[in-house]
Amino acid sequence: MADCNVAATTAAGAQAELTPDDFRVVGFTQEEANRIDRPTISYWADAWRRLRKNPVAMGALVVLGLLCIMVIVGPYMRGYSLLDMNTADRNLGPSAEYWFGTDSLGRDLFSRVWMGARASVIIALVATAVKLVFGTLYGAIMAHFGGWVDDLMMRFIEVINSLPNLLLVILIMMVLGNNLFALLVALSITAWCNTARQVRGMIKQLKESEYVYAAEVLGASPLRIILKHYVPNMISILILDASTAIPNFIFTEAGLSFLGIGLTSPEISLGVLISMGQQTLDFYPSQLLFPCLILCIIVMAFNLLGDGLRDALDPKLRD
Amino acid sequence: MVKYTIRRFFEMILTLFLIATATFFLLEAVPGDPLTERANKLPVETRAQLYERYGLDRPMMERYVTQMVNMAQGDFGESFVYAGQTVEGLLHDRLPVSARLGIQQMLLGVTVGLGLGILAATKRGRLPDYLVVGLSVLLISIPHFVLGLLLQKVFAGELRIFPSIGWPSGSQLWFGGWQYTVLPTLTGCFTYVATYSRLLKSSMLDVVNQDYVLTAESKGLSRAQVVRRHILRNSFIPVMTQLPMSVAMCITGSFFIESIFAIPGIGQYFVTSVNNQDLSIVLGLTVFLSLIYIVVLFITDILYALVDPRISMPGSESR
Repeated sequence: MADCNVAATTAAGAQAELTPDDFRVVGFTQEEANRIDRPTISYWADAWRRLRKNPVAMGALVVLGLLCIMVIVGPYMRGYSLLDMNTADRNLGPSAEYWFGTDSLGRDLFSRVWMGARASVIIALVATAVKLVFGTLYGAIMAHFGGWVDDLMMRFIEVINSLPNLLLVILIMMVLGNNLFALLVALSITAWCNTARQVRGMIKQLKESEYVYAAEVLGASPLRIILKHYVPNMISILILDASTAIPNFIFTEAGLSFLGIGLTSPEISLGVLISMGQQTLDFYPSQLLFPCLILCIIVMAFNLLGDGLRDALDPKLRD
Repeated sequence: MVKYTIRRFFEMILTLFLIATATFFLLEAVPGDPLTERANKLPVETRAQLYERYGLDRPMMERYVTQMVNMAQGDFGESFVYAGQTVEGLLHDRLPVSARLGIQQMLLGVTVGLGLGILAATKRGRLPDYLVVGLSVLLISIPHFVLGLLLQKVFAGELRIFPSIGWPSGSQLWFGGWQYTVLPTLTGCFTYVATYSRLLKSSMLDVVNQDYVLTAESKGLSRAQVVRRHILRNSFIPVMTQLPMSVAMCITGSFFIESIFAIPGIGQYFVTSVNNQDLSIVLGLTVFLSLIYIVVLFITDILYALVDPRISMPGSESR
């Protein structure tokens, strides 16, 4: 220890007259050296700590929480029917009675917008879940078997990937018709490829890594390796994947419904409402404004949270 | 190198064949056929003749083989719905429109995006940075069609600066008639602005901490020189990866914009012909659009290998 200090001081270019007598041993035991002063923080606790320090991401989280509540209770708050016409109150602007105004059939837009938001969010969540589960399984199978299975399954992904995305979605919608199930299939059918690729890459890399090798040598069961090494490594990728997928799905649903090939009128989604609002845009812009506004807020909240998560989950930024 | 190129070329053909096959059977799975509407008004004998004229009286597998053989010879066939309309004619009329729209969007969007990215990275943590980051999050959170409707409403509806719909044709197909193209181009370019400013900013921030940047600075180079000669050059790799994807997507990416501004492009026609179950047209367009996509990606892969010797050629395992 003393030698070390001497070396450090001389290296720093200090006076050369120092002798070993100038130093004293302050005490040192093996135990002290091995003690860990800072509390051990798990990866997730650390990520959460960093996410909490990010005001933008926390803001987005709060907004998402509020949106969640509104999506559940919003359609019933005003007590109006979602589908029944009311010819006396057509095309009204926002007022105390109808907070967002009414549409061309006299239906309360506030209730309908939240109902639409509910549909859009549910579609996005289900499509994301399908994408993650199917993508993970597909990727894991590719990585596990390798060889010709891997080649064949990869070729399949490449075929799907070489079709422009929107083209395939439109085709599927046409074949299966304008309903919820068709929309979910169409949205998920291309989306899982990316997840599968990422998972495959991750597992292949992990399989070769020293710590998995060490775990195997030490006699860990496959289950333990999967749970302790594969899953934690993959979860952060999957969370990021989900956080970008959700706003994308909401966008695509709205876009398809807007073009008239997603959901159509008796169903309520943000896309349907926007496409109805567009028809009366010149006279009653509020009918377009509110669905668009809610759509943008939802998507923005997801995007900001996703950005925050990306920073929080990146182990390279750990301090 | 040559071997790799040849292999990739054959893989490309195989992928195209699979895409064509999948599209064919997908469309065949839709109940009804493209002639139903026309045929219903005709007497029975004429109806039979009509079906014979388009070859729809023959069994599915036979038609599949004929179609594939014809397509391999470059003959995509004729529209079932609009007599005399061929895929070649369609591409000739409509491809330039979509291509011009896509190219204009991309040039404007990528240029502005890269500029903003550099600005945000060099002024990190100061006002310009926050403005750019905020702007790009805002821009990716507003769907194309909402933005398009908004611009249309304000600049064409209220201010009457630009025409609200339409597209230059004839001698102005590629150049001129700018007032028609301003709003659609603006609408589409924002995605590129958001994507590229974020991409370049984050990759520049990665490079800033590298040793060679420190070296360059300690040699006494000016800030501008360091940014231009050391940081920018090295941070362009992610941008170069993204760019071909954008090029490949630029033609199919404007479906929504074409619909809003009533632009007679490929996207709009594709949606119509899928609606009409116009099999030969859909098949032709799908194969053609996928072909563009695949060829662009193919060329990119080859270029990468030429530019960056670290990317190994024969095994595609690295991806």
